[in-house]
This record gives sequence, C-alpha cells and structure tokens, in this order.
Amino acid sequence: MADTVKKVCVIGAGVMGAGIAAQVANAGVPVLLLDIPAKDGADRDAVAKGAVAKMLKTEPAPFMSKAAAKLVETGNIDDHLARVAECDWIVEAIVERLDIKQSLYARLEELKRPGTAVSSNTSTIPLERLVEGRSAQFRQDFLITHFFNPPRYMRLVEIVRGADTDAGVAEKVEAFVDRFMGKRIVRAKDTPGFIANRIGTYWLAVAVNAAIDQGLTVEEADQIGGRPMGVPKTGIFALIDLVGVDLMPLLAKSLSDTLPQGDPYFATVRPLPLVDRMIAEGFTGRKGKGGFYRLDKGADGKRTKLAIDLATGEYRPEAKPEALSPAAEKDLAALVTVPGKVGDYAWTILGHVLSYAAMLVGEAADDVVAIDDAMKLGYNWKFGPFELIDRLGPGKLAERLRADGRDVPAILDVAGERPFYRVEGGVRQYLGADGDYHDVPRPEGVLLLEDVKRRSEPVAKSASAALWDVGDGVLCLEFTAKMNALDGEVASLIQQAIPIVQERFKALVIYNEGSNFSAGANLGLALFAVKAGAWGEIEKLIVGGQQAFKALKYAPFPVVSAPAGMALGGGCEVLLHSDAVQAHAESYIGLVEAGVGLVPGWGGHGELLDRLAKSKGMPRGPMPAVMKAFELISTAQVSRSAAQAREMAFLRPSDGITMNRDRLLADAKAKALALVDGYSSPEPPTYRLPGASGRTGLAGAVADFRRKGMATAYDEVVAGRLANVLTGGEADLVDTVTEQQLLDLERAAFMESAHDERTHARVESMLMTGKPLRN
Amino acid sequence: MTEVVIAGYARSPFHLAGKGALARVRPDDLAAQTIRGLIEKTGVDASLIEDIVLGCAFPEGEQGLNVARMIGLLADLPLSVGGMTVNRFCGSSMSAIHIAMGQIAVGAGEAYICAGLESMSRVPMGGYNPLPNPDLAAKSAGAYMGMGQTAENVAEKYQITRAEQEAFAVKSQQKAGAARADGRLADEIVPIQSKAGVVDQDGTLRPDTTVEALAGLKPAFSQDGSVTAGTSSPLTDGASAVLVTSEEFARKHGLPILAKIKAISVSGCDPETMGLGPIGASRKALERAGISASDLDVVEINEAFASQAIACIRDLGLKEETINLDGGAIAIGHPLGATGARIVGKAAALLAREGKRYALATQCIGGGQGIATVLERV
Repeated sequence: MADTVKKVCVIGAGVMGAGIAAQVANAGVPVLLLDIPAKDGADRDAVAKGAVAKMLKTEPAPFMSKAAAKLVETGNIDDHLARVAECDWIVEAIVERLDIKQSLYARLEELKRPGTAVSSNTSTIPLERLVEGRSAQFRQDFLITHFFNPPRYMRLVEIVRGADTDAGVAEKVEAFVDRFMGKRIVRAKDTPGFIANRIGTYWLAVAVNAAIDQGLTVEEADQIGGRPMGVPKTGIFALIDLVGVDLMPLLAKSLSDTLPQGDPYFATVRPLPLVDRMIAEGFTGRKGKGGFYRLDKGADGKRTKLAIDLATGEYRPEAKPEALSPAAEKDLAALVTVPGKVGDYAWTILGHVLSYAAMLVGEAADDVVAIDDAMKLGYNWKFGPFELIDRLGPGKLAERLRADGRDVPAILDVAGERPFYRVEGGVRQYLGADGDYHDVPRPEGVLLLEDVKRRSEPVAKSASAALWDVGDGVLCLEFTAKMNALDGEVASLIQQAIPIVQERFKALVIYNEGSNFSAGANLGLALFAVKAGAWGEIEKLIVGGQQAFKALKYAPFPVVSAPAGMALGGGCEVLLHSDAVQAHAESYIGLVEAGVGLVPGWGGHGELLDRLAKSKGMPRGPMPAVMKAFELISTAQVSRSAAQAREMAFLRPSDGITMNRDRLLADAKAKALALVDGYSSPEPPTYRLPGASGRTGLAGAVADFRRKGMATAYDEVVAGRLANVLTGGEADLVDTVTEQQLLDLERAAFMESAHDERTHARVESMLMTGKPLRN
Repeated sequence: MTEVVIAGYARSPFHLAGKGALARVRPDDLAAQTIRGLIEKTGVDASLIEDIVLGCAFPEGEQGLNVARMIGLLADLPLSVGGMTVNRFCGSSMSAIHIAMGQIAVGAGEAYICAGLESMSRVPMGGYNPLPNPDLAAKSAGAYMGMGQTAENVAEKYQITRAEQEAFAVKSQQKAGAARADGRLADEIVPIQSKAGVVDQDGTLRPDTTVEALAGLKPAFSQDGSVTAGTSSPLTDGASAVLVTSEEFARKHGLPILAKIKAISVSGCDPETMGLGPIGASRKALERAGISASDLDVVEINEAFASQAIACIRDLGLKEETINLDGGAIAIGHPLGATGARIVGKAAALLAREGKRYALATQCIGGGQGIATVLERV
C-alpha cells in the first residue's frame, strides 16, 4: 500500500513526544525524534538521545522490545529538520507556547512534502490559532492528535480536524494511529481541553472543593468518589498524587485562559492555600515527597501511610472510613440519597460532572459515545458519564438538578426518561442530540465479542467457559470465570467444542474480553481440594487438562489463541498448544507455577521444550533447549509485551501481534481462517533428553543461585522436580522420549508438588496477599 | 637438548563479553587476525611454520571443528601449516606452548604458532551442552564446582579478607591503567577489524576504580562471601599468539628472541581450591629450572580471582614488585583459552623490556590444576 505511513518524525522529546515516538517504534515503524540542539557538549543530538536513554530505564517501559528502541533515530531541529521530507507524518510535541509552535510550523511548511500530515499534540491550544498565517496547503495537512500519558499504555487519542483539514490526510493519520499505534480514536471538536481533560479537570476541581467544603477526609472522598462511580480506586486525591499535585494550578490556568466566559469551570477556580503550600514544600505527589497521602518511615524502619488533614494541613495516620452499604456501593441512585456527607458528596460530584458532560454534547463532541469513550480510555473510568447517567436515571438527574435550581442541559431534556444507551435487535444504540437512537458505531473491521454476545446465545457453555459463533465459520471459546481462571469446567467445554467445530465450523479461536486472557489455574479451588485431601480430584484435573489441551492441539481444524493482558500458567499453556497465536501487543505471558511451588501441569514442559528445540539459532545438542526452558519456568519469567514473548519463545516468529485491542478478535479470526485450507494437525514431537547428566548440570546452576541468595530452599526443591521433567526423568541420551512420557513425568512432578506443605504455604500466601512467599 | 625460545608475542584487544566491542566478532576471525598480526610483527616466513597449536577452553560452536585448522585457513597461511586445538581450560594456550616446546625438542619441526582463543560472548562458559557425570558430581563436589565458589574457598582457607582482595584488584587496575597510558600495551595489541570498525584498545580496564567503589559491590557468588565482580577477572573476549621456535631457527631467520623456555610443569590440586594450582606447578617448574622464587625478576600470575592470586603469591613467597607489572587479568581480562599464551608472551616481553633474567608465568585451572612456565633471558 503506497498510502500508508512508513516513517514518522516526532518533534519534541519530552515525556509525551518521546513516548509517542516509542509507540511508533513499537509498531515496527522507523521514527525520527528531534529536539532542540544541546546547548553545551559536543553532541548536538544529546537532548533527543538522552530522552531515548531515559526511556530505556523507565518503568513501566515505553518500549515493547529492544528492537523497537533501535527504530528511533535521534537528531536536532537545527541540523536535521529538513529530514521531515523523508517522513509521512510529522508529530509536534514541543512546549505549549503558541508563538514557538507557530514558528516551527513556518519552518516545516518550507521543508515538508505537500500532503504530509502535521499534527500537534497540544492539549490546550485551539487548532485555528495554531495554523494562523499558514498556507492553504499546510492547513489542509494539519490536525491535532492528542495522546495521553503514557502513550504506550493509554488507549485514547483525541483527534481534532480543522475547518480546512483534508479528509484524506486525516484518515491516513487516523488509520495509522488506530491500526499501528493501537489507539482508539475519539473525534473531538476544536474546543479548549478537548473532551477528556476538560471533563477530568472539572471533575477533580469539583471533587477537591467539595471535600474541603463538606468536611470530608481524603480517604472518605476517595472512597465515595472512587469505586462506586466506576472510577479507579485512586479516586480523587490519590489520583492527583499520581499525576502530580503541581499539575493542578497549571491545568487551572490553561483552561481558564482558553475556556469561553460563563463556562461552569470558572466557578470551581478559587485559591487553594493548602495545595499551594504543598507544592511550595515539595509535596507534589508520588514523584515528590508525597502528596495528599505519603509513606512515612518510622524510627523502626516500618512504613506507615499518612494522609493530610484538609482542614489543618497536617499529616496524620491514614484512617480507613467505614464501609459503604452494599446498596450504596452498587447503586448510584442509592448512593446519592444516602443521608449526610456520603450522599451529599456523591451528589455534588455526579450532579456537577454529569451535567457538565451533558452540556458538552455538541460543543466538545458530536455525541455521547465520544464523551464516554474519552473518559473511559483517557481516565480509566469503568463507565462514561452517560453510562453513569443511565445508572442514575436521566429523569432523576434532571429532576434533582431542577430541584437544586440548576440548569438542565439540553441533551437531558431530549432524553427525558429514556436512557442514553439501549440494545435494539441485539445492537447497542445511543441517543443522539436529534432525539433518535443510532447504532453505536464500530470502526471498520472491528469485531467485538461484546457485540456478538449482545445479539446471540452461546453455542454451548459451562460454569467457566462459553462458546460463541463469531461468524464466517469460526467458533470462539471464551473463558468466563473470575480472572478467567481455568478449571475442569473449561477442560470439559474444550472437549465438547471439538465435535461442534468439526460438525458446524471451520476453526476455533480462543479469546475473551476480560482485562486478562487468563491468570491460570484456579488456585483457590486447587487449595480447597488439597485441604479436603481430594488427591484423586486434583490428579483428574491435571489429566483432564492435559487431555483437553492435547485434544486442542491435535484437533482436525485450526486453533488460534488471541491473548491480551496476562496469559499465565495454564493460560500460557493454552497458547503453547494452539496452532497459532494472534496476541495483543500488551500480552504478558509466562509459566509462573514455580512461584507458588508448583510446576506446569497441562503440557507446558513438552510444548515449550519442543518449540525451543526447533527455534532458530538454538545450538545443537540435548541441553540448550532444556536449559532455556528450565530458566524460563524455574524463574517464572513473564514477558512485558508480545514482542518480548516472541523473544522468549512463548510466541513463535509466525504468530501475529495486534496493536489495537479492538481489532484482536478480527485479526485472530482472519488468522484462523487463513489456516483452514489444507490444514493438517501437527505430528506429535519426540524428544532426545539428557537424563541424569543434564539434571546434574542444572542442579549445579541452582546451587550457585542458592549460594548467591537468589533462590530459596524450596525453590531448589521445585527446580529439582522441574529438572526431572525437562531432562526426561530416567531417560538416557540415546532414548526417544514420547509426548505422553513427558506428560506422565509432568503429572508426577505436579502431584509431588501438590502434596508438599511448602507449596500449600505458597498458594495460601498468593491467595491472601497476592504476593509470592519465599520459603 | 634443543633450546626453545619465544620469538614473538601478540594479542587482540580484550573486551568484556556480551557488551564489548568484540562481542560480534567470530572467535575464529579474531584469532586469525591475531595470528596474522603476529606473523607480520615478527616477519617470520609463514611457510616455515610447522603447526598452529591453539588453546581454547570451550572448543565448540564457532570455536569448534578443530578451530585451529580453520583459523590457519582463514589467516591465509600456507596449506602446509597444520592446526591442532588443545584444551586444558584456562591453561590451554600455555599447554599449546609446552606442546610446541616438546615437539621442537624431539625434532618435529622448528617453528610453531602457539595461540589461544576464547569468545565468552559467543560460546558460554560451560559450553552449550554441560552434561556432568552424576556419579562424579556426587563423589567429588569440586569437580564441577563454579569457579567463583572455589575462589571463596581459597579466601576462606587462606583467611584473605575482602579488603585485601579489593586492594589487590585496585592495584591491578592502576598498573594496567598506567601501562596503557604510557603506551606499554600498544605494541602487543593487534588491531582487530570488526563490522563496526577497527578495535585497537582494551575495553576491560577500569583504572579509576577505588577501594571504596569496590567495597560497595555485592558478593558475586555467595551471599555471605567476600568475592565480588570487582575482585574477579571479567568474562572476556580475546585471542593471543606466541611464536615458539628453536633458538637456532630464531637466530638463522633474524627473529627477535624475547626469552628461552627454561622449564615447564603442570600439577593437579584439589578442585575445590583450584585457584591454588599455581603453587604446586610453580614449585615444580622452579625446581626443574634450578632456581628459587627469590631469583624471579618478573612474574605473570593469572588473576582469575584476587583471592587465589594473593594466596599463591603468599604461599610461593613471590616478591610483590615482580608481580604483573602491567596489570593482571582482573584489569585486562581473562578470555579463558587465550590467557596462557598471553602471560607467557607477556613475561617474555617484560624480560626483554626490563632487561631482567628470570620470569615465571603461571595460572590456575578449573577442575584443580596449575600450570607454570619459567623463562630466562638469553
């Protein structure tokens, strides 16, 4: 395709510019990152180079792989700006000053090819001001692409087209941002702060003011303003600590400078002596000495969490507020009517923020979907403002606003008692400003299981999994338990699925839309069985899982797994048994059983060994694949991206990576269908394993780790069991080990670990604290 | 008996494995370039060379397939020059010299290239397929013991404190730094062509390190141990080569005679304290040479670890001012198979440079051995 972006130039190597460049590189596209020339020192590119070097040390990592980092070329705008002529898209992410941006654009106008898109990452300056004085051609090529920090992890990009922006130019950028950079695009209008930051800033200002006025503690404010509203548990004050307390006055200033007179935001602006003092004293949040919360290290070295008293400004030990009633937790209408400060505070936030959002329909965005998407993706809200209004009841909201003597936004009048979202004929629809319902649009090529589920019944289901017809002859296996944990119910549905696919479908895709593909086996259930001494049940679970996964592997049709988020333990073993994987770029894959004192039990040893032995560049002989598998499993390594999972051999070179989460199912389906013609199931592998000699070598390595203090006593025991499986048990170098023999060794090692009390202690710790026990 | 002499010495620059400038250079190319450099430097007529005897501790992968022969072909030596790969772990290339000496002594040729090679970037220590004998591992804990652990054992046995080790390491770094600054290393280094350009400097030295900096490091091998990365030789890529000829051959062809080989030896010891290997080997060699430790003017003792070097120096009663004049392996690096030829070549070159009489080159060897060579200025 001639008309795609093949090279990008990012100007401005600050946190945003560098992060945007990294995400371009993560997509495998070369990027030129420019900043001002260094003032002193021999290397004039030092500023941009320093930004890349810093990113290589940043956590969470902006780069998905080391290879991606190599795609970023650095330079400076005095010596290299002419190289924008090589690029198909130029992103400006320099300081938020109109004059400086305008003078850069004047230079770009001379240097870039006509038709090459230029976009600004401004978060505050209107597009019309940015293109003042530019040629017609430049105005056609110009738009705003507003990324959120950190660009790799935040899925929102607000795009603003100007009056003169050429549709083709904008579409080319949008296609790249969507498919390559993996972002969901929200079209915003050319208004200050666009959508997410405008609502988000207003929300925080209202919530902070109300907490002070209504005499709430920061803990109470975060409790009420957090989970019940579908807001991340950081709520209000812990979120400000996270983004930086010092950002508050900056945001206030930039919005105050640009918002139209009469905007409700102005009513929130007032002096906040406490915040000013905190900033002056360095309490700027997590990046500083602490913020509204801080950790205090006592004389005994123990850390205690302190919270600031909003009235006195003094820190005091954190005090968890009394739990909300279950009704108030779940039901927004109940929450806002709780008598006293809980209800008052909740209503102050929701009444203001939801009506503000409603007011912005037509002004900042065309429809409610854009506003909801912006808040969900830009601020990680579980529900957008209009989804919250539906939970509260649009009529009730309008009624109470009226009762308070406040204006009711037009869109609420349009809605009346009707919800903003409904499902009609299995299709989700939203209420437009015209008073009619319209289908919620999906970008071309996007297929969501959420939509399939809304319009159809499962083909079959069990307590922990379901089968869905996702069209074109493809069946989808969805995990449905908490954390998408795997258990016997999943295994039995896999066995059921096989004849179903054979009879009625062409291929199977394993996919779900949970935050994580699967956190692995259901440990709670396993521990329960252990406590009950149900060893037969446990063994059955292992054998059943082994058989189900091998049935998937040898099924007479293609099986494609499509993970996103964590695919750990059994979740990773699902991938290892698939014909192919189409992974979301943010896939965190690993065999982590050793962390809880176990070994993989569902065929993970043999599958990993086989693919490592066949992987390119693996030295010959019986040990290299064994050593690599041993290292990966014994240290419970988890990839930090799909690209890294490929380096670690959890993914094959031929497996696909999808950048945009919304496109994962469609891509997986396409991959499965591409395998249908001429499909034959794989031949079972055989193994040449080193036996006792190999085990001796591995034991020596573990003993070294132990001496260095990097492995515990029980780590060494678990590693020994693992080594026994990977080296083939009693097999000799000249023996051929079959897949089933390896499965039997695996099962025995698993059962031995399951019987061990030190494993139970690890599992209990994991279930109780979420942290591994180092026994 | 035919007198055997060292008639030339050269080495590649030494670089840290994995991250250094030689990590992407194939070991056979590295050694071939080093040998070419030695031939050019000495001016020896290559057609008169009998054999390349090359030491390598892990002769597999790119160092496999009798790499000595491949290196001869790569270096465009006449087809008549043979090639043999020798393995005695860290003593490999010193053994190569000893083998050549024996061959010359029995009249099997007059000129040998004795080389050493290790790319610890490209072939892992322990090799790709470590398959220890389970019965031996059970019987002899030291047989397959990690080298770091043996260094801890030596430190404990000889009561060598961490501070002593660190002072020793800093001194090694300072000596190497001064030698490089004075240009005393340049003439032994053969510039190596890598894909990224010419490499003509060592990448291993840390002349600015201090005892304070080293004191901050964590123990590298044992949680409560005293040996750190700073008091160990680094994993290194490098090659070395020495021209070994009969004295008569050297004189006839006008080759520079650096020293003659006076005596050689190997000696086994307890694998769990393999770092003490130089003690037995040096005693034997000195006795065979008919001299005592106090007669030595120059000593090249390999610094696999500060602890074992200190223990050997102390036990043998070596004079401090004779030790590793231009720094040792802690600073310069220890590409396993290449070290033996480096320290023999270096000792010979130092005798010539300093105008002294006797030198000792000695090193410890994993599995429990020592090897030693006594040289005398002609």
